[in-house]
This record gives sequence, C-alpha cells and structure tokens, in this order.
Amino acid sequence: MLDSQTTLAAPQPVRFRGGGFTVRRHPWAALAAFVLLIGLWEGASRLGLASPLFLPPPSAVGAALAGMILDGSLWLNLKASLLRIGVGWSLGTLGGMIVGFAMGIGSLARAVGVPLVSAFFPIPKIALLPLFILWFGIGEPSKFATIGFGVFFPTVIATYSAIDSVPRNLIRMAQSFGLPWRSILRSIVLPGALPGILAGFRITASIALILVVAAEMIGAEYGIGAFVLMAGNLMQTDTLLAGVLVMSALGLTIGTLLSVLERRLLVWR
Amino acid sequence: MTFASWTRRAVLGAAAATLATAVLPATTVPVQAQSLDKATVGVLALSSSGPIFIAKAKGYFEREGLDVTLSMFTSAQQVPVAVASGDVDFGVTGLTAGFYNLAAKGAITMIAAQSRDEPGFPLSAYVATNAAHAAGLTKPSELKGKRIAITTIGSTFHYMIGILGQKYGFTVKDVTMVPLQDVPKMVAAFKGGQVDAILAPSTVARQLAADGAGQILGWAGDETPWQLGALFTGPKTIQTRRPVVEKFVRAYKTALAEYHAAFNVKDSSGALVKGPGYDALLTIIADATKQKPEIVTAGLPYVDPNAKLLIDDVVNQVKFWQSEGQVDKTLDAKSIMDLSFIGQ
Repeated sequence: MLDSQTTLAAPQPVRFRGGGFTVRRHPWAALAAFVLLIGLWEGASRLGLASPLFLPPPSAVGAALAGMILDGSLWLNLKASLLRIGVGWSLGTLGGMIVGFAMGIGSLARAVGVPLVSAFFPIPKIALLPLFILWFGIGEPSKFATIGFGVFFPTVIATYSAIDSVPRNLIRMAQSFGLPWRSILRSIVLPGALPGILAGFRITASIALILVVAAEMIGAEYGIGAFVLMAGNLMQTDTLLAGVLVMSALGLTIGTLLSVLERRLLVWR
Repeated sequence: MTFASWTRRAVLGAAAATLATAVLPATTVPVQAQSLDKATVGVLALSSSGPIFIAKAKGYFEREGLDVTLSMFTSAQQVPVAVASGDVDFGVTGLTAGFYNLAAKGAITMIAAQSRDEPGFPLSAYVATNAAHAAGLTKPSELKGKRIAITTIGSTFHYMIGILGQKYGFTVKDVTMVPLQDVPKMVAAFKGGQVDAILAPSTVARQLAADGAGQILGWAGDETPWQLGALFTGPKTIQTRRPVVEKFVRAYKTALAEYHAAFNVKDSSGALVKGPGYDALLTIIADATKQKPEIVTAGLPYVDPNAKLLIDDVVNQVKFWQSEGQVDKTLDAKSIMDLSFIGQ
C-alpha cells in the first residue's frame, strides 16, 4: 500500500503518444526507392532471371536513350511532338475554356451544352482517326485536331464545374454591394474558379501526352509517339522503353511547370 | 505456366487412366486419347494460313499423334511475340522486321515456308489514286518519288517497296512512305487524296478499283516474287520436343501438298486449274477465315508443296532491314533457320 502510494505521488514520466500520424519529410526516400528498384531490375537481368527481350535491363534502355541523344533523333522527335502537343492543347484549352465559361455563366448555354458534352465526350478519338484523315488530311492539322478534341471536353467540364463551385455567398455579397457584373466576374468568379480550372489543366496535359501517340499513328515521320509505335512494331524493346521514359519525363516536366503556375496564380489563397 | 500445365496434364492423365482401367475395362478405349501430344499454333484468320486449317480440319495432326489447338491472332506482329513468350508452340505469319528482331534475340526459329508471292497469284497490289494515275503514274516502276501509304515501318509492305526499288533502281529513300498503322486509315488517306498510291491486300485493292477510287498498277507477286511468311517455333521447342516438331511439320507438309495440288496448279496456257478436292478445301478455308468462298478464291496464295523456303530472299530481307537500320547488323540470316525438318 505504502509503496503504491509513493509511486503515485512521484512525478511519473509520460511517454509522448501524439504525433504518430504527422507527415515528416523524407527527401531521400523516393530517390532511394528508385535506385533500389533500378538496381533490382538490372540485377535480375544480369543474373539471367529476366530475358533481355521481355525486360531489357536499365543499362540497355540507357544505351538506347544515349544513342537517341547522340544521333540527334531525340531532339527531332521531341520537337515534332512538343509542337503538336503545344498547338493541340492550346487550341483545345482555349475552345474548352470559352465554352466552359459560357456554360458556367449563361443558363441557356448550359442547357444546350451539358447534353452535348455528355454525348460527345465519351467518343474515343482513336475511333475517329479515319474520319480525321478525311477532314483534316494526314499532315499536322489532323494531329492538332486529335489532341485538341481530346483536351476540349475535359476542359469544358472542369471550367464550368469550377465556376459552379465559386461560393455563392461571395457573389451575392458583391451583388448587394452593387458591384458591376464585369467586376464580379473579374475579381470573384475568375479567381474562385481558377483552382478548378488548373486542376483540369493537369488532367488535360496528361491526356494530350497520351493522345500524341494516337495522333502520330497518322503518317508521322517524326515524333515521340511515332518513335514508340515504330519501336513496338520492330520489337526493339529497349528502344521502346527509352521512348516511354522520354514520355514520362515529359509528363513530369509539364506537371512541375503546372505546379509553378499554380503557386503563382493562386497566391490569393 | 509450367506448373499450371503440369497440374492440368497430370489431372487429365490420371482421369483418363482411371477411366480406361477401372470404369471401362471391357470396352476398347481409343489409345490415342492418352497418347496425343498437345501443341498450339498461332495463326491469323487469313487464307495464307490455309494449310494449317486444312491439316486441322482433315485430321492430319491427329494422324501424326498430335492434339493441335489453333490460336487466332488479329495482327501479324502478335504471333511471333506469342511464340517467343511460349504462349503458343508454333506460329505461321508474314515476315516483318519485328519478326527478325525477335529471331535475332534467339526467341524464334524458322522451320518451313508459309506462302510466297508468285507471278500469277494476286495477293498485294500497287494501287494509284485517279489523280496520280491521270498525272502519269501507270506502272509500278513509276512509284519512285511518290507518296505511298503503308501500314507500319518494318511491315511486309515496307519490304515490298524496298524490293520493288531493288528491281527498278531506286531505294526506299526515293519514295515517301506514309505509315498509317492499319488498312482502314490507309484507305481513308487514299480516298482523301493524301497519298499518290497504296500497297493493299487484294480484297481491298479490288474494292477500291470497283468503287472507281483508284487504279490497280500491278501485283507484287508479278513484279517481285518473295517469301511472304514462314512456319516457326521456339529454339527451346526444337531442343526439348523435337519429335513433336517433326510430327507437326509432317502433317503441315501433307496439307501443304494437298493445298498446292488444289489451288496452285496451272495448265499449259498458264491459267490456274481447279485441282482435286478444290471445293472441299475451299469450304474449310472459308469457314476458318469466316469469309465468303468467292472472296477466298480471289486471294489464295501460292505455297511450295514441299514447304521449301526461298532462302535467297530471306537473306535479302535480312540485308534490307539491316540497311534500313531496323534489324541488328550482326544477325546472320542462316542462324535463324532450322530447315532440317523439311530436308532443305
């Protein structure tokens, strides 16, 4: 009895039990995981566990990539694809934002637009390629069109739902203060819709990257998509993976650029 | 995979053995039911795979003691990949740069011939648009400098342009090849006037000519006979299951000879004559390819009755792809053939 009383009285150190779920930064963890994965992959190939045909070792992929850089074909292919992605994405985004804004603000435009978007969005653009050839030819226009159409509909949806999600009470407050329509649009609706629109950009940028492969099915001489397709047809698996690597690096770059853009444009948050 | 097939085989074998010994001791059970060796063959549903369909339908594989399953593929690229990965044991398709790349990595070996382009057998046509035809493109030799739609880089069509150039003194650099991935897109570009000419399979070429969309300039078989396709298998199959390969090739050759006698024999004037069993074999191929017999008749390719390969052409193909930079320079064409099964 006495013993227990003395222990109760004594100040007992309490273990800190909070903080188990807080996120800590591990800057090297991702890199280490990558290195480990590549090491395992290379090792499996070296030990003969994986056939170089089915899974080319990273060194072979690296050699293929180095070859592309040295003979200048990487730059040639990248330049052609970047032009297509740039023009196609810009056209699709511009059109999509105009239509999306109209649908977000005007109720008539929305009444017409929503069923139309629902009807046209699910059409696979690849199925339309033969038609695109007839409409736009096999030059650059059909490639811009394939990417543009693919980007257009998600942008419309992202834009009008972003405008929808602008807090109504802010708009009503502005209206009751007698702000003109234009200023409400410029200082409340546009900034309020921007996060949603930028999130849409992230999705459409990836869609553009996926569609560049489909677009370059149509008679493309150069282009990273055409390059990947050709390597696949020729069963050059190491070159194929090198092309895929370039595409995913491209995706990473575009994602990083969009993050910078988000940070810049959304300072008001 | 090996584990799965082992268990299935063990279970089936045990079941068959139990049936044969315990349940039906008095009745005579067909011996073959237990002793048939299983094999799969990857084919395309095209008349060029006709001999395989005949061997299967007429029971030539069973006669050799093989239980052969046909595995249908939709594109020529997939079949050698399936053989390389071990999903099927044998394959018959056209020879492409992708095929040679797989062979160069030791994944597949040619063991016999499939069909070949021969004079008088219209398989692939050079078709010019009306506009290009009016502007003076009337002969295959004039394709130099033109825009020609093909399926893909490294395809049989690519080689057909290459070999045509070898005949008329130009290289593929002298033409603009427009790769459009598949025939519908090629036809779309052709009808839209985006190219001067296309290389098209006979059915498509005849349809284009019938629609008045273009003019057939000639046939690849008449201009440049070449080895279109081959029967192939994995080097491992040859090493570990040589008797199966021997049996397969024997059955294949039986069907090949029958096919040749029915469809490939010409009379003294050079016209094709219907050989023995013509209608029955035609029905087999029409059923297997799900095509109307009259369409099948229009595109029946030539096969060598003894499955002999045009070795010189295969060597030329490998050299061509190497000069195009699409196949490893170190590949020796002879190293990817094992013609001991056909005695060539």
